[in-house]
Amino acid sequence: MSIEQLYRTRAKELLSSGEVKMVIGYGAGSNKERRRPLFITSAEECDKLVLDSACISNLSGYLLTEGLLSDEKRVAVFLRPEGVRALNVLAAEAQLDTAQIVIIGFDSPKGELKALEGSSVEEFTALITALKEITPETAGEEQLAKIEKMSPEERFLFWQEEFSKCIKCYACRQACPMCYCRRCIVDSNQPQWVNTSSHTLGNFEWNIVRAFHLSGRCVECGNCDRACPVNIPLRLINRKMAEEVLNSFNHFAGTSKTQEPVLASFKKDDSETFIL
Amino acid sequence: MSKIGVFICHCGENIGAKVDCTRLASTLGDHPGVASSIEYKYFCSDPGQESVKKAIRDNNLTGVVVAACSPRMHEATFRKACAEAGLNPYMCEIANIREQCSWVHNDNDKATDKAIDIVRSMVEKVKRNNNLQPIEVPVTRRALVIGGGIAGIQAALDIANAGQEVVLVEREPSLGGHMAQLSETFPTLDCSQCIMTPRMVEAAQHPKIRLLTYAEIESVDGYIGNFQVKVRLKARYVNKSTCTGCGECITKCPSKKISSEFDCGIGKRTAIYTPFAQAVPNIPVIDKNSCTYFKNGKCKICVKTCPLDCIDFEMQDEFEDLEIGAIVVATGFQVQNNAMYGEYGFGKYQDVITGLQFERLASASGPTGGKVQRPSDGKEPETVVFIQCAGSRDPSKGVKYCSKICCMYTAKHAMLYAHKVHGGKSKIFYMDIRAAGKGYDEFTRRAIEEDEAGYLRGRVSKVWLENGKLMVRGVDTLLGKPVEIAADMVVLATAMVAQPDAKEFAKTIGIGYDEYGFFNEAHLKLRPVESSTAGIFLAGACQSPKDIPDSVAQASASASKVLALFSKEKLEREPVIAVNNESTCAGCWGCVLACPYGAIEKKDIMDRSGKLIKRVASVNPGLCQGCGTCVTFCRSNSIDLAGFTEKQIFAEVMGL
Ligand SMILES: Cc1cc2nc3c(=O)[nH]c(=O)nc-3n(C[C@H](O)[C@H](O)[C@H](O)COP(=O)(O)OP(=O)(O)OC[C@H]3O[C@@H](n4cnc5c(N)ncnc54)[C@H](O)[C@@H]3O)c2cc1C
Ligand code: SF4
Ligand code: SF4
Ligand code: SF4
Ligand code: SF4
Repeated sequence: MSIEQLYRTRAKELLSSGEVKMVIGYGAGSNKERRRPLFITSAEECDKLVLDSACISNLSGYLLTEGLLSDEKRVAVFLRPEGVRALNVLAAEAQLDTAQIVIIGFDSPKGELKALEGSSVEEFTALITALKEITPETAGEEQLAKIEKMSPEERFLFWQEEFSKCIKCYACRQACPMCYCRRCIVDSNQPQWVNTSSHTLGNFEWNIVRAFHLSGRCVECGNCDRACPVNIPLRLINRKMAEEVLNSFNHFAGTSKTQEPVLASFKKDDSETFIL
Repeated sequence: MSKIGVFICHCGENIGAKVDCTRLASTLGDHPGVASSIEYKYFCSDPGQESVKKAIRDNNLTGVVVAACSPRMHEATFRKACAEAGLNPYMCEIANIREQCSWVHNDNDKATDKAIDIVRSMVEKVKRNNNLQPIEVPVTRRALVIGGGIAGIQAALDIANAGQEVVLVEREPSLGGHMAQLSETFPTLDCSQCIMTPRMVEAAQHPKIRLLTYAEIESVDGYIGNFQVKVRLKARYVNKSTCTGCGECITKCPSKKISSEFDCGIGKRTAIYTPFAQAVPNIPVIDKNSCTYFKNGKCKICVKTCPLDCIDFEMQDEFEDLEIGAIVVATGFQVQNNAMYGEYGFGKYQDVITGLQFERLASASGPTGGKVQRPSDGKEPETVVFIQCAGSRDPSKGVKYCSKICCMYTAKHAMLYAHKVHGGKSKIFYMDIRAAGKGYDEFTRRAIEEDEAGYLRGRVSKVWLENGKLMVRGVDTLLGKPVEIAADMVVLATAMVAQPDAKEFAKTIGIGYDEYGFFNEAHLKLRPVESSTAGIFLAGACQSPKDIPDSVAQASASASKVLALFSKEKLEREPVIAVNNESTCAGCWGCVLACPYGAIEKKDIMDRSGKLIKRVASVNPGLCQGCGTCVTFCRSNSIDLAGFTEKQIFAEVMGL
């Protein structure tokens, strides 16, 4: 039986037994490369579920839909390892209770679909811990290496060029599970710290704020990068920030549901190289 | 509409000589929202303050900016003046054009331009200031004094004699601290115990003092005026209420060979013991680690001996919760363990001892009954070498600072030695003789002139044993020659260091400490007895090396701070505290974790039927110290700091 078949059956069982009230998965999109989130509440609909290596978006953010979890009923969700990490981050920040979430885990390393064992975040701990060790190597982005080699001036120009494209649509924010704020800082206009018009200064401000707000929390699912209509390489910023946080504080976002937020906590042996 | 008054102070020449105050006043006079802009030589003077008040009344000012020195100096002065003129004091702000401008610039034109920026920025802030009311918090009029050395005892007595309740907590079985260990005290050579024990007894019998010995602080919560303190009363295994201190148990206890902490290892004690004969309270404790019964399950001789059945091996630690209004920390110091000076042979040769051990040798209550005898064979030493700064002023191996008391006690030791061993020769290696203090220089002179203390200016490089003598090799830098002395005993003036657990302890009670573990004062010069945490004060050697007169003076000073606090029923606190916007808070609890004062709580928001809608952060105004850490953390900018709101700061920045 294909993994898709297997998981359709699993979803059916979960729904018909009443164990979950909803399954969040993927359905067909507008073309072969695109998949769309599906929110299924009855066993009959489960055959619409699609699972292949094109199912890349991180669905964890949908769990925070206003009111979805407030009846304390459970919801199943299709997640890649990054998605499970995102669950941990959200739980650590008190946005959801992982006991309410049934994970339907999968991955597709090198394009090959693979089922992942386990249905609760705890069962993924070993996998995530292993990811922490390998991430730096697998993320050897050529472009990142190029940027690292640039002088600060060149680097500034590079990002100025990139950010000048930003149209302030906030699609990145909308796509990110961690951007759950009731009121984003850019929407606060008393005072208006971040300029809303899409000129270079405002664009810089927005993207830097976003980078800082996501550092130590971003799980590098790529939702924001794919959402960006003008193709700003947000993944590079995310990667750089994740690397900094890992090197400075040995912090890998989403390793457990009780992980302390890196920017609000301290350890006695934190390096202080950045304090001048 | 804002009507801001701008008051530009010349501060005599301080500002006037660098900043063109007339240009400054006229530029600001034209700034939107400024109703009055005047300059004056000294606004802090009475006529200066009067002119501020008059301008407020005449122009119905809604806000005031005083462009002058640092707000640390006169913010309070001008806020008071504003209040007297009917303006909310928090509508007054200081623009610092002295420390941050005139004092640090040479070019008058540019300094004036900068002053204009600074004042304009502050005007923009004041336009967005709000009336704030001081926060009132009730005060529990009960003080906690931690540490029962001379400093703690003095503070407790001063507070109690003013009629306020005190709980005095000492972790050892008896009050006394180091002073109880000393023989005679510089600069008067009066017997330490003779002046100390009456104080100990007075503290123990004082109706306003509750003495808790053999007790430690478990936790401190709360804030100034309202601390909740948990104390651990360690099990003594002796019933405090029935024991009369007859001491029968001590005489009969078979484990007699335990090294006595009080005698610094040169005397012995039993497993059931009081640290010294005049201990207060005179109730023994059982040292669990050396007691034969606790070790082997057999013995209980003390149980059989005690005529009043006081011994209870089943006793457990007990905990007590105290409501406290103010805390005095008087936990004292330790002497450095000089094993690190391998070349001095400390730890290797029995007759190389510390100054504190010498005190015990010279003390009438000590293991030798006050006779100066070598620990190795009990012989009277004919030559004693004293090494000063053994650990102090040594950045490479010891501590950087001067321990302040060693010059004095070494002179004292040389004198005591001369008095006790006639014909005994003392040699003192020193770097400098630091004898600043009332009667101190006279004291060291006396040691040299009357008691023939032989001072040698220089360091010692090595001590070794040769033919039964301790050979001391050093240098006499005044003669520029190496010297070698054959001594019978060597006394190291070891550095005064912080208690080994000082840093942990500081974290438990929430005060700051320096790199050595001495507790930090709020301001070295102007607030030397306050810690940086409101309501916690410092006394004695826990803050820095101190002698007895200084410890006692600081103890009385901190007692007066406590009494000032207790003189009111309610405390007024600056209303600069964080306020959360509950409608935008996402309940991520980052601020809860970030707040160094534990001031943020989780609050449930319910609908009318009592159903939980959401949980948000909520700031406890009594606990918040207004540090702003939460504000910088909160991603959604939900938390704001009254008096320094983001709106105000933003306006300030944009005003530049
Ligand atoms: C060798 C030597 C000779 C000296 N000679 C003189 C002299 O001649 N004249 C002079 O003026 N000064 C002299 N001094 C200095 C004098 O000893 C100190 O100034 C004085 O003892 C300081 O008092 P204190 O109460 O601050 O500290 P301490 O005497 O150290 O008392 C601190 C007390 O707090 C208790 N404690 C510590 N931690 C805790 C805790 N966590 N909880 C509860 N209790 C705690 C300790 O057990 C102790 O009882 C000498 C010092 C030394 C080392
Ligand atoms: S910032 Fe982008 S990559 Fe990171 S968690 Fe959010 S959506 Fe995913
Ligand atoms: S960018 Fe920051 S403030 Fe805005 S939604 Fe994301 S985390 Fe919240
Ligand atoms: S950090 Fe901000 S959003 Fe998070 S709980 Fe605190 S106030 Fe609320
Ligand atoms: S201002 Fe400081 S003390 Fe007050 S709640 Fe925020 S973090 Fe805590």
